[in-house]
Amino acid sequence: MIDVATLERLLPDFMVRQRWYGFGDVRPERVEVTEFEVWRDSWPGLVWALARPVFAAADAETDARFQVLVGLRSIDEYMHFLDGKGRSLLGDVATGAGEALAYDALVDGELALEIVRRIAPDFPANAVRPLPVDQTNTSIVVDDSAILKVFRRIRSGANPDAELPRRLWDVGFQQTPEPIAEWRRGDDDLAVLRRFLSSGTDGFVLALTSLRDLYSSRLQPEQCGGDFAPEARRLGEVTASLHTSLAQAFGSAPGDATAWTEGLADDVTRVAVPGISPDELVVRVRQLVGHAGADVGAAVRIHGDFHLGQTMRTDSGWFLLDFEGEPSRPLDERVLPASPLRDVAGMMRSFHYAADVALAERGDDVDTELHSLAAAWEARARTAFLDGYRAAIAGPEPLVPTEPTAFASLLRAFELAKAVYEVGYEVAHRPEWVDIPLEAVQRLLSPPL
Amino acid sequence: MTLIIPPGPGRRPLDDDPRWYQTAVFYEVLVRGFADSNGDGTGDIRGVIDRLDYLEWLGVDCVWLLPFYSSPLRDGGYDISDFFSVLPEYGSVDDAAELIEQCHERGIRIIADMVMNHTSDAHPWFQESRQDRTNPKADWYVWSDDDQRYPEARIILVDTEASNWTWDNQREQYYWHRFFHHQPDLNYDNPAVADAMLDVVRFWLRLGLDGFRLDAVPYLFEREGTNGENLPETHDYLRRVRKAVDDEFPGKVLLAEANQWPADVVDYFGEGDECHMCFHFPLMPRMYMSVRREQRYPITEVLANTPAIPDKAQWGLFLRNHDELTLEMVNDEERDYMYSEYAKDPRMKRNVGIARRLFPLLDNDRRVAELFHALLFSLPGSPILYYGDEIGMGDNIYLGDRDGVRTPMQWSPDRNGGFSRADFAQLYLPPLMDPVYGYEAVNVEAGLRNPSSFLHWVQRMLHVRREHAVFGTGTFEVLGVENPSVLAFLRRRQSTDGEPDDIVLCVNNLSRFSQPAEILLTELAGMVPTELQGRVPFPPIGELPYFVTLPAYGFYWFVLQSLPDETES
Repeated sequence: MIDVATLERLLPDFMVRQRWYGFGDVRPERVEVTEFEVWRDSWPGLVWALARPVFAAADAETDARFQVLVGLRSIDEYMHFLDGKGRSLLGDVATGAGEALAYDALVDGELALEIVRRIAPDFPANAVRPLPVDQTNTSIVVDDSAILKVFRRIRSGANPDAELPRRLWDVGFQQTPEPIAEWRRGDDDLAVLRRFLSSGTDGFVLALTSLRDLYSSRLQPEQCGGDFAPEARRLGEVTASLHTSLAQAFGSAPGDATAWTEGLADDVTRVAVPGISPDELVVRVRQLVGHAGADVGAAVRIHGDFHLGQTMRTDSGWFLLDFEGEPSRPLDERVLPASPLRDVAGMMRSFHYAADVALAERGDDVDTELHSLAAAWEARARTAFLDGYRAAIAGPEPLVPTEPTAFASLLRAFELAKAVYEVGYEVAHRPEWVDIPLEAVQRLLSPPL
Repeated sequence: MTLIIPPGPGRRPLDDDPRWYQTAVFYEVLVRGFADSNGDGTGDIRGVIDRLDYLEWLGVDCVWLLPFYSSPLRDGGYDISDFFSVLPEYGSVDDAAELIEQCHERGIRIIADMVMNHTSDAHPWFQESRQDRTNPKADWYVWSDDDQRYPEARIILVDTEASNWTWDNQREQYYWHRFFHHQPDLNYDNPAVADAMLDVVRFWLRLGLDGFRLDAVPYLFEREGTNGENLPETHDYLRRVRKAVDDEFPGKVLLAEANQWPADVVDYFGEGDECHMCFHFPLMPRMYMSVRREQRYPITEVLANTPAIPDKAQWGLFLRNHDELTLEMVNDEERDYMYSEYAKDPRMKRNVGIARRLFPLLDNDRRVAELFHALLFSLPGSPILYYGDEIGMGDNIYLGDRDGVRTPMQWSPDRNGGFSRADFAQLYLPPLMDPVYGYEAVNVEAGLRNPSSFLHWVQRMLHVRREHAVFGTGTFEVLGVENPSVLAFLRRRQSTDGEPDDIVLCVNNLSRFSQPAEILLTELAGMVPTELQGRVPFPPIGELPYFVTLPAYGFYWFVLQSLPDETES
């Protein structure tokens, strides 16, 4: 099998190629394997390890640890599962049983199945396939009935994506996939197995379906067959139920308007917004939060990265997924209680994106009528979502502002911060999309309170 | 008028499978509106006999006759004044016997409506009962001194009735009626009534009918403090009927009309000891919703909430029938939506529903009509066609009550659409004459002559369906597809004789745009899908989700077969 020294030698080049790596293209100077176990020492071999990248002082200071699962097969074997998976290769290794190829074991169906069986020995697993989209974690689908999410970057303490669904199910919230098994070592969450929503549709995709119907028929959204408002209303209800349940599971405290104002003021000045001075943004944030007065609701655990892409429409209503929080924020910040309106603001921003992404699909066919339909769709989805949300939110104390004007004003403050964040993200990653959040920032700055 | 019927696949004998209804395709016939053999302006039983060759060619397995019993016809014959005779305008009991025999000769079964809950107020039983409070039939109906009993029972026909009680001047008491005031409810607490109705059932089964569609079964009994629907006493009585039918007339079918949520409807199957079949009411409005919303969830939600049914039971599925498209089984939001989408003219609303035929509901879009029929023929249940829908007939929303969907069958472009040789003014209802749906444009003869007509398409689809019993008896499993506009499902039947399982994959595009679909099918990796209409083999299913593209409103039916084992050849 492979030994620690060999693995440490192969890992720097391997890590820098992974989507979950998170340090751009900065290759670690070396990688230190902090934990190492051989899970299987016959062919195909399987090794589990935690590894810490070490950088030259100038590059980065980090205590990041990554989880790697290494598969090994004789180089004489034809490994069809590696076709087109160059990124998953670690390299050649000399072993006692001859020369072998080392690779990411999660792409090897046979080994992935073994991993599932180790993590959830009671779950009857027969076949696995990788989920085509590979993100900050690695997910594999088991028999189209469960999904194994292997956390890649391991942080000390509970991973909210494992903790929140479990606690939510404990208090009776079932609109998130049911946890089947969790794999922890010490304080570290390493993987979770949960129900796979095979009948589901991504909420963003469902919104696009409605918008394509709208733009093609050119009727008003409420006259359109594919009207999204009833779906948005139900999504608002489920979101309210999520916040109510989170307050139940983790408790709530009165919101601190002063601290929120300062936090938001920090957030909006972190990014340079073209054509808008940071002072203007800060003034607006203070104005919006101030307008709510003392009526700001409560601070609770929240989803933290809430948008249509984190929701699934299924045969049994809307499901909410991915509780890791905004990946760009440090973990200790992500688990802090916050206003539930932060999540609501995320969804508001998502409706705007959906309307404009579907508009962009039409290419040159976009005229003022379509623009006004996009605005009408977004307004209708917002109203319906908020109607559902406000009708369903409940708690021993108000979780959100009780007065409609205070609610609207505080919501705008969080929307503004979110839109500014999006400007920064788009400038860095997708400059062609920057107009969407820019337009939102303008909108949120201009109208009266 | 003589129809020239193309040669069909040949005559089939009546199969002797006692579970025939699980794979049968039903065809609903309004005797009054189908064909008029004697030129009096009203359809009749001999007219139906004359048209059986057409139904044989079409490929239906069972004819369902709307009520043909003696009746003052104030509710389309659901107001029966004599259970043992045929309405004279329709013919005689002898004609009915010949119709049954002629159907059976063509391998077609025949069932008829039976109204258990009430009679016409013209029925001699009621006439006797209303005389006074002591006559021998005094307790055959539900009488009361005041109109305050059973206040929890809702009024069903809200457009016309203000109360479930009506005052009778003669007996000076109120009588109970769940439907029209001229339809008093029979009193099933009286054993003589329960026995008498069982004798009605025996009479017609003895004549050869293959079963009944039992009208309005949930309301047979009344109990204070209940809504008078689905009471245990009603189920007890249905078990009694079923036992008598099974003991004395094996192979006959009872089809219940219980317009209730699936969780309540399944009670009418009992433990396989009540009705053989029940209509699935909530599915139908949701098919319309799904297509308008371009997403499958209205359909899959209601199917996910449909409980399992006993082994020998079957759902009855339909797109439209002789009643309004009922919206009792949707929530308020969905009902508003359906009204705004499908009843743009207030005249289209009837009670809690929409009185329109299939094609006008679909804006006469042939592609959607094909998709709807593909769903009707492949979702779990036995399909029930409504006369005229196979040629794309329209409706007349200016006629009263539900007559708008009960206009004469359009056989040809001749006078009165080939329905009758009577004078136009003598017809029971005017045939459609508008430029889109009128009989000059839409009729059986034109459909038969044109090989690419909707009529021929339906005939071919029924032929395909017949070859795969799995459509009737297979399990049903919705498959995962990310695209919300695509509804994909498997029908699968475990083989008993060592042969491979019978598996059909159905993929439907509910959208008016072309759509891609990646179907989660890895469990069946290695099998080869063959498209059923053209027998075109598709690429085998692999380790990844199976990818197909569908045209607007397109659908595929695939039979899945294992790759031939290469080691054997």
